[in-house]
Amino acid sequence: MKNITIAALTAMALAGGAQAEEFTVGAELPLTGTLARVGSGMQEGVMVAAEVFNKTNGKHKIKIVTIDDESAPAKAVAAVEKLASQGAVAITGGYGSNNISPASDAANKLGLVYMTSGGVDDSLVNSGRKNFFRINNTAGYEKAVLGLLADMGAKSVSIVFSTKEATSDLANSVQKALTAKGIKATTHSFDPAITDFKPIINKIKLQDKSEAILMVGYENDYVGILRAARVLKPPVKAMIGVWSLATPKMAAEFPDLMPNVYGTALLPFPAVFDTADGKVFADTYKALYKKEPDYLGQFGYVQSMLLFEAIARAADKGTVKKGGVAEELRKTDRETLIGRVQFGANGDNPNFVHRMGQHQGKNIVIVWPRETATGKMVYPGLPW
Amino acid sequence: MNRPGAGASTGTGARAAAGAAAGIGRLWWIAALAAAYVAVPTVLGADNYVMSLIVAAMVIGCVALSWALLGNMGGMVSFGHSAFFGVGAYVSAIVTAKLGVPVLAGIALGGAGALLASVVMLPVLRLRGPYFALAILAYAHIFRILATEWSSVTGGSGGIANIPVLPTIFGYDMSGKTGAYLTILTIVLLFALAYRAMRASHYGIALRAMHDSEDATRVVGVNSTLLKGLMLMVSAFMAGVAGAFNAHYINFLEPDYAFNSVWVTVPIVAAIFGGYRTIAGPVVGALVVYLLDQLVFKTLIPTGHQLVLGGLLVAMIIFSPTGLLALLRRKDHA
Amino acid sequence: MTELILQALYSGLLQGGSYALIALGLALVFGTMRVINLAHGELVLLAAYIAYSVESGLGLNPAWAIPIALVVVSATSAGVYWIVSRIKKDREINSLILTFGIGVILTNLILLIWKADVRSTSSSWLQEAFVVGPLYSMRSELIFFVVSLLLIGGLWWWLSRSWYGRALRAVSSNRDAAKLMGISPGRTELVSFIVAGMLAGFAGVALYSYGVIQPAYGGALTVKAFIITVLAGIGSIPGVLLGAVLLGVAEALTVTLASSGLQELAGMTLFLLVLFVMPNGLMGAARRRG
Repeated sequence: MKNITIAALTAMALAGGAQAEEFTVGAELPLTGTLARVGSGMQEGVMVAAEVFNKTNGKHKIKIVTIDDESAPAKAVAAVEKLASQGAVAITGGYGSNNISPASDAANKLGLVYMTSGGVDDSLVNSGRKNFFRINNTAGYEKAVLGLLADMGAKSVSIVFSTKEATSDLANSVQKALTAKGIKATTHSFDPAITDFKPIINKIKLQDKSEAILMVGYENDYVGILRAARVLKPPVKAMIGVWSLATPKMAAEFPDLMPNVYGTALLPFPAVFDTADGKVFADTYKALYKKEPDYLGQFGYVQSMLLFEAIARAADKGTVKKGGVAEELRKTDRETLIGRVQFGANGDNPNFVHRMGQHQGKNIVIVWPRETATGKMVYPGLPW
Repeated sequence: MNRPGAGASTGTGARAAAGAAAGIGRLWWIAALAAAYVAVPTVLGADNYVMSLIVAAMVIGCVALSWALLGNMGGMVSFGHSAFFGVGAYVSAIVTAKLGVPVLAGIALGGAGALLASVVMLPVLRLRGPYFALAILAYAHIFRILATEWSSVTGGSGGIANIPVLPTIFGYDMSGKTGAYLTILTIVLLFALAYRAMRASHYGIALRAMHDSEDATRVVGVNSTLLKGLMLMVSAFMAGVAGAFNAHYINFLEPDYAFNSVWVTVPIVAAIFGGYRTIAGPVVGALVVYLLDQLVFKTLIPTGHQLVLGGLLVAMIIFSPTGLLALLRRKDHA
Repeated sequence: MTELILQALYSGLLQGGSYALIALGLALVFGTMRVINLAHGELVLLAAYIAYSVESGLGLNPAWAIPIALVVVSATSAGVYWIVSRIKKDREINSLILTFGIGVILTNLILLIWKADVRSTSSSWLQEAFVVGPLYSMRSELIFFVVSLLLIGGLWWWLSRSWYGRALRAVSSNRDAAKLMGISPGRTELVSFIVAGMLAGFAGVALYSYGVIQPAYGGALTVKAFIITVLAGIGSIPGVLLGAVLLGVAEALTVTLASSGLQELAGMTLFLLVLFVMPNGLMGAARRRG
């Protein structure tokens, strides 16, 4: 009996090539600390991707092991190393160049691919990293904001931005681009700890006299800025933000602050998923977490799905342990929830262009670019 | 336990016993050093994860040592050691990345930079207790904002990327985990020895006398402010070197990270936990707290382990405020 | 320009009132027991989250959360006191680490219970503008500024007139003598912690109404409160208001006249300046050296 079993197993092994395998993918994310909010959002997207992949792939399986990097670089490095020792074949996650930079270097040294949507900084792709991949970048946000402003025909913009790295990078790029086009752009930086924005908005109201205000910050900043604007009522025609603003959550929690406010948004709300991919994402997300997906979950999902697919292709060729994942990722070229994704030699996604949405009533309508717009923008339009 | 006729409590018997005890103490230290330099890399060197944790814990330990030194010898509690850590990190990063200075020299310069930063803080020395502690914290915030705004030199909020790694010494590449570990171990050891030497010197005795009564030492003629200032500078140098080392180990620096409050709070916790009156206490405390938290608590309770750490702290203070080492020694005497 | 400066002064004043409310509890305990409660910011945050639960769960105006917040936070504060009173020696430094540990526990509890999202009031009434001439503010800011003044006045009156208040001052200046006079220091100190908890309760609900909360904010609140306490000088309640308003106005003026990126810098520089000139705080009584 034993001989036959051994013979059978040997035969199967010799048949070689594609066998159904289970792969461990490590998720290194901030679940505690200052970045806890974004980390947990991304984690949801990653888990949904694993669920969907396991159901639809039919051959290979993905197991996610998550380690909290506590929003700290040293612990991000340690998390990657622990995941590697637990047999992870790739890493998905990370937020903030401060954490992603050392973590992806650690992954690189261990021969693991590092895939993220949380590092939009240029230095990440300009340092010669071979195993680093990301699906979004500052340029994509910049294009969206500039496109919207162009559609509006605004002649002057006041840019209010947090002095943190990602926000100031974007704000400064946008300012340069606007000035080059002959549009007056005044910048006002603020320390992330500021809670009262009335002095800044007052300056914009009395000195800048701009047509639009561009806010580059995070959720708490938007709330503060919009509140100050509602109180002071500067004579602008539009309030535009970037990430974390055009979300159903903001609409539900701050209904007085959101009307007609713009922000980057991948999908309208109520989300209309017209692709099969999108539908399965939305349904699985709702089933697992009992709430509507937000942009963090969407990014987490897209980045992970692309990673899993590359792993599956590499597994079929037997090259997973030999750099096959990175190779397959570079061959990626497909439409996703965030548009077409490809990876350049430096790991960046050159096609990334975000979309602009506007809060209209209880919904979020995509108003730019025209190809994916689901409605017209209300301009001028303000929350007061 | 007193046995009747327990032998001479004076004379050669006691001196021999004391000599033997000192000998055992020295043996213990030699064994510990051998373990640290040889056993740890050989046994754990292959496990990147554990070595990562140990290196991170040692960095904390170095800052904890500098903090304890300031507290014990200078009599001052500081809530802003992140200021020295951050300045050391930035100076070293800038001179190595932008001016091409070799890394080891850069680390020393980082320490020197932190020392200069402490000179700016000298006026604060005359403040008492919590006032001094907070004033140092204010400096830390100011330095952080300077680092963010002075973007031409410091790279602003984007920070400095691709900081040069530790070099190859005698053919041994220090940029790997084991190399980094050996480097920080040596740094901590040198500082501990320096601390011990200072404590035993007559300056050290003067400072400890001052700790007990500043008026008395004034009368005797010891310039307390000068000594305190010196201790601040030494403490700053040590913390600065720790920050510089960390910058070359992580290879990325930004203002929020360099001046983060974690470089204030965790070293204090470590020093108190291990026993801040001793020299080994802060470093031992750092290793125990950090490794216990990351290896044990985090595995058991992935999203609540910091809670357990907080609870452990509370328990420590109630049951053994002089720290872990004191607790262990008490157990021996029982 | 004058309009800008006037608005800055007004905003700074209102903000200062709110800062004072946050700092008051910490200052009280520090003045009484020389204990720095590093968990104070977390107590304020706890009250803010209770306000959030009341508003989102019951749909009521956050002001309704005040009674619940008062009870819960005072009880927690009393718990903190109980643990602190277990310290046998070196109370000043040991209580520091102890309350730091308690702060870590509270922050993580808040994170576990309420998750990491950013929260603030959605009541439109509170967010509406209140305009006085060229000066603008949110209704919630003005209301809680008045509340803050009332509480500061009330506390000052309580400390100087009521029995417990005077007992507190007695214990603070000389613990043993107070014992001889028949005052139980333990009970008095417990009272100070409970009152501090109540003040934190008000401050938290106020914070939720005009600002934004996140579990990670506890530490920053403690630091701000501590800075104002030290600025004020030990044992001075009016000093807390003065210090807080000074801080608020300095921040607002820096933002208006210079760059808003330097707001924190203004606060820190002001703090250092005051300490250099007046090492015992704005209204600190002269203390013997050493």
